[in-house]
Amino acid sequence: MRRLLPELCLIAAMPLLVYSVQRVFLHTPNERTMGTAFKIFFFHVPMGWLIMIMAVICGIAAGVQLRRRSRRAGCVALAASELGFVTGLGVLLTGPIWGHATWGTPWTGDARQVSTALLWLILVAYLLLRHYGPRTSERLASALAIFGAVNVPIIYYAVKVWKTMHPSNEVVGKLPPEMRASFWPCLLALVLVALGLFAVRIRQLYLADELDEAWVRSQDRAA
Amino acid sequence: MRRLRQAYLLLRSDLRQELRDFELVLTAGFFTVVLLAMFYLSFAALQAKAHVAALPGLLWLTVAFVGVLTLTRVFDREREADTLRALLAAPVDRLAIYLAKAGMTLVVLLLCSAVLVPGLWLMFPAGAGFAAQPWATAALVVLGCVGYVAVGTLFAAGLATGSGKNTLLFVILYPVTTPLLMYALVTTRALLDGDPAVVDYLGQMVALDVILFTLAALLFESVLVGAAAKPPTHAARSDRRAPPVA
Repeated sequence: MRRLLPELCLIAAMPLLVYSVQRVFLHTPNERTMGTAFKIFFFHVPMGWLIMIMAVICGIAAGVQLRRRSRRAGCVALAASELGFVTGLGVLLTGPIWGHATWGTPWTGDARQVSTALLWLILVAYLLLRHYGPRTSERLASALAIFGAVNVPIIYYAVKVWKTMHPSNEVVGKLPPEMRASFWPCLLALVLVALGLFAVRIRQLYLADELDEAWVRSQDRAA
Repeated sequence: MRRLRQAYLLLRSDLRQELRDFELVLTAGFFTVVLLAMFYLSFAALQAKAHVAALPGLLWLTVAFVGVLTLTRVFDREREADTLRALLAAPVDRLAIYLAKAGMTLVVLLLCSAVLVPGLWLMFPAGAGFAAQPWATAALVVLGCVGYVAVGTLFAAGLATGSGKNTLLFVILYPVTTPLLMYALVTTRALLDGDPAVVDYLGQMVALDVILFTLAALLFESVLVGAAAKPPTHAARSDRRAPPVA
């Protein structure tokens, strides 16, 4: 049952995603000032939360990898950074579309925009280092991931500290009930997709590592 | 106390080596002047209002560029003479190595800033804000450089112990240090505008510096030499890779 959990997550996410999309676009009223563009909010916010969660998971797993030389933790960190990369890309693509419709410009240089882009860049740097770095780069990449995780609270508080135009952190709580009712299925669907892909990717990375190890063992035996 | 003494001795050795040929100070200082000249040629024709917006960026971009150049060179010296390995094998506290290298880089960066800030003041009228509040400017530059050096030393040292690929320092360092540089940008803008909130911003930069410095110091040993080895079944495997399947 535990082995099937990733697949179950993905299977459960499929109808939920379809339901969320139809609910958001057909049964949720338009926001008064922003109109249809506000619908992006239902996907943008969950992806924004997911990139932060993935960066934190990546940082914690990297810390464990650095401290205990755990290969499994290394796989978790890499999988989290890859998912953080994808969700970050989603946030950075949907944000400017929403910004263009509401602020009249896709990029205002707002603190939240810049710091999210930076977090995404840290994840890109982590991936580059893991793939193209020298022999000791795993340790270095771990340190980078830890700094990325430290960046998360800075992003969260950026809205408060820098007095930006970006909606505040309490915006979900202030939604009208009919909009909030559409937000939770979207969040759940995207979280299930992320969890499923995350678990599948960890398994894949771990198996690749096991395969490497088996090959090294067979070479040792042959020698 | 012993750790601080070791750091002092290592820093003194680095400074003595630098005083023999002034290699780091001259190259980084010259690079700073070149950047200043390029900025002047590119932005002098802009309106004075635009200078206020551009000046913080010019200041911290220069620090970021010069910082990477200095960090690379500080550890290249050790690598060329293969002395980093000797240093790690010697009974020297790893934190002392970190403090000494960070101290050396900070000295070079601050010397470059001593050229950079007056240079910006002379070249751009908006730079008069620096002269109007010299203590706040000095605090801002020191805090910005300390944070940058704290993170930069960790990653430059990590790359120096690997086999080449120093170019990765640019890939790693800029995204990691940009939150700090963002704070520095906001503070510089407040300083040039004469905003009284500059003191609060400086306080936030102190907090950020403490976080970055503590984190980097905690991670330094693990990044440089790795955690204590586990039993051989799991050790030494990560370096070996299977060849690509045909």
